[in-house]
Amino acid sequence: MSAAIRANREGHRGYLAPSGTFDLAHAAAVKRAVEDAAPRLQGCSSVEVDLAHLDRIDGAGAVLLARLLDRLDADGRRTHVVESPNPKAARLIALYRGRGADRRTQARQTNALERIGAAAAELPGKVKQAFDFIGRSAIAFPKSIVSPRSVDWRSLPKLLQEMGANAVLVTSAANMLVGLIIGFLGVSQLKRFGSVVYVPELVVVAQFRELGPLVTAIVVAGRSGAGLASELATMKVSEEIDALQSMGFDPFRWLVVPRCLALVAVLPLLTWIGDVLALVGGFIATAVSTDMPPRAYFMATDQAITVSHLLAGLIKTPFLGLAIGLIACAQGLAARGGAAAVGVRTTAAVVLAILGVIVIDAVFTLIYAVTGI
Amino acid sequence: MSSAAPHIAVDNLRIGWGSRILIEHVTFEVARGSTLAILGGSGSGKSTLLRYLIGLEKPMAGRIQIDGVGEPHLYEGVPHFGVLFQSGALFSSLTLTENLALPLTAWTAIRGATARELCHAKLELVGLGPFGEHLPGEISGGMKKRAGIARALMLEPELLFFDEPSAGLDPISAVELDQIIVTLSRDLGITVVIVTHELPSIFLVADSCIVLDKTAKGIVARGDPRKLRDESEIPFVHNFFTRSSPDVSGEQHAIQGG
Repeated sequence: MSAAIRANREGHRGYLAPSGTFDLAHAAAVKRAVEDAAPRLQGCSSVEVDLAHLDRIDGAGAVLLARLLDRLDADGRRTHVVESPNPKAARLIALYRGRGADRRTQARQTNALERIGAAAAELPGKVKQAFDFIGRSAIAFPKSIVSPRSVDWRSLPKLLQEMGANAVLVTSAANMLVGLIIGFLGVSQLKRFGSVVYVPELVVVAQFRELGPLVTAIVVAGRSGAGLASELATMKVSEEIDALQSMGFDPFRWLVVPRCLALVAVLPLLTWIGDVLALVGGFIATAVSTDMPPRAYFMATDQAITVSHLLAGLIKTPFLGLAIGLIACAQGLAARGGAAAVGVRTTAAVVLAILGVIVIDAVFTLIYAVTGI
Repeated sequence: MSSAAPHIAVDNLRIGWGSRILIEHVTFEVARGSTLAILGGSGSGKSTLLRYLIGLEKPMAGRIQIDGVGEPHLYEGVPHFGVLFQSGALFSSLTLTENLALPLTAWTAIRGATARELCHAKLELVGLGPFGEHLPGEISGGMKKRAGIARALMLEPELLFFDEPSAGLDPISAVELDQIIVTLSRDLGITVVIVTHELPSIFLVADSCIVLDKTAKGIVARGDPRKLRDESEIPFVHNFFTRSSPDVSGEQHAIQGG
């Protein structure tokens, strides 16, 4: 039997008689019955509730009935539940009475303009946090030299393995494909001017000066940046960072310094290996799409490679590695809350690290352009 | 189902991993509407036994029946019971209201205003009415546990399992939580199985208990916890209830100020 509520009135006295099944499975029917009953008691000064005809009631049914009685009471109609025929149901309803349905907190809806305003208002705080983190890191590095025992040096080989050796395959593949792309693009464009002979130089200059460091750093930002941020964020939300601090360790020196050093060390190596692989990619592209002899390609490449080109690219990489490390660690250490915070901070770390890498690369390019390097 | 039939019947359960047996010959019943405490020292298998009762693990041998239903159908479909895990086990990316609405979304057609009303009522029941839009990371440990209880109640179960509900709470929060358990048991008639080693909780909420011992690999005592405290002659049980430890000469020392 479904749920129903009989609502009668005699003069100023109302009478409510719920009947049937008032449980979770019939919540929709109970809700309808409750909403239908309220208007029929308009004008009553008191309402008597008879629970004798209830077949079954559970917490869900009791909540909905209790809310009806709360509303009637709030409207000035005194309600009285007759307990004797069904004391268990009366107790259950009493348990949920007066628990303030109208005080329900609602998530405040904000419009797009408010969200933009809120984001703008948060910006100075975020910039301050970033500078604070950079400042603390800047202090941590020299302090690490003065007090080497405050750094977890034992983790460094593992970090070098994880961020360097384990990343060789993916960064090499990415750089080789980039070399291949530059090669095909160079052939298709320079062929029109009969200048295919300049393709090797194009590959060298584009890869060594710009794309090698950039592509390697972006892959490392996605791979190691995400790993670092999620590791530190998990440590933060599980109170491991607090435990470190309570034991007198500075998390910057113990955790951030070795991670940043590992990235500063591995990024030039990964870029250099990537540069070599990109030359192979450029050669493959040229070999399959032109009739340039391999020997001619190698000689042209040899002439194009200069210390200036190589260093112009490699000199950026420690800065890119440092930026990835600092951004990822900053995001990880800023995690608050639970598992969700780990995901949010990891995503932010990858996005900001990639953006940071591109900005730093652009700054270097600008400096080279202005100084004529 | 007759009301005299036990709500939970565990018969000759053996649990462990691989060739390692943790506890065996575990047999007990829980009467409908009563509260059973599973007691024992650290590593005795209390929480592990709970994992088997709620169907997270398959026993090596033996049988668990809830409401007369055993495997293979016991843990299928709408859950017959609610569970409060030790940390509350709330989903950190969801608000408390969203956490509570999850079981409704999974197992009922209730949505929208009715769902919010039911969630809010349960939060009010455990004293968290104003915190519905908070994330779990924004509330205290005790509040998380209370929210966990509210979520466990969402499908109106007649049986609740609690894994060390007052562990890590201050005495006031622990008593508040115990009072909620007593209310659920006595006012709502819910059968409660509680894993704990908090003595004040045991004496406040439990009608009966079983005591597990890792050395004996099974139940070493059962009955009213107050009687066991006063009358048991089993050394482990006596030590457990009097918070004393045997020294090397075998004498008992009460732990002062504990």
